[in-house]
Amino acid sequence: MENNYQLVPEKWIDNYADALYAFCFVRVNNHNLAEDLVQETFLSAWKAREKYNATATEKNWLYAICKNKIIDQYRKNKSHLVLEETEETETYFDNENHWKSEKQPKDWGLNGQTNLEQKEFYQILSKCKLKLKELQQQVFVLKYIDEIESEQICKILGISTSNYWVLIHRSKLQLRNCLEKNWLKI
Amino acid sequence: MSLIKKYIMLDCKEATYLVSLKEENKLSFSKYLKLELHLAICAVCKRFEIQTIHFCNLATQLPFKTENKMSEEKKTAIKKILEEA
Repeated sequence: MENNYQLVPEKWIDNYADALYAFCFVRVNNHNLAEDLVQETFLSAWKAREKYNATATEKNWLYAICKNKIIDQYRKNKSHLVLEETEETETYFDNENHWKSEKQPKDWGLNGQTNLEQKEFYQILSKCKLKLKELQQQVFVLKYIDEIESEQICKILGISTSNYWVLIHRSKLQLRNCLEKNWLKI
Repeated sequence: MSLIKKYIMLDCKEATYLVSLKEENKLSFSKYLKLELHLAICAVCKRFEIQTIHFCNLATQLPFKTENKMSEEKKTAIKKILEEA
């Protein structure tokens, strides 16, 4: 059974530029870089159009190319990024490694169900994410937005498993704290 | 008591760290038991677990919820590049 997927390159920019841009921006946090990644995506897609074998929809095919561009970008970058040795967790825990009273998670009234203003939640999540260190953000994005396995993430970013867990721990502590401070006030 | 603390009890820092390993089924059985024991008696760490799972699950949708758009200049520029490619 043959698929009828087809490429319509003349419509690519109108149909996908903004969506791919948002896809890139959340992953690289830089306007110009995100635009350039979309440009590279379209250019690679254009060059590879003869090889498109219609097993994926045009949209999924473009996203796959784009994802590879982002991962290449992360790889290119990895030598600049180092895990900082400073104990950021001291912000949250006392000498005995118990929660400092002012940093203890407060009740969000979740009860497993969310009645949160979704749009506001995402705006704040996006701002809080920007406050993370670059490597923490990349780990968080790969794990929770791209849903990639931890082993794979370590390979992409060139970090050890224990570094990975430390980064995840720190980003969760920081994001949670930031969300609590900014989002519960609304 | 100090022996119990040493061999059975986790502190909050370690418990919150292990919560992420639990999520990916990366805990040994004994660590798993220690963590569950801690979460059963420490309401604050239990809250940390519930809240982080909650917002990490929502994070998947983040790229589709932001209103960032590409500039029109760049779109025109890319169209031109593609025409010439």
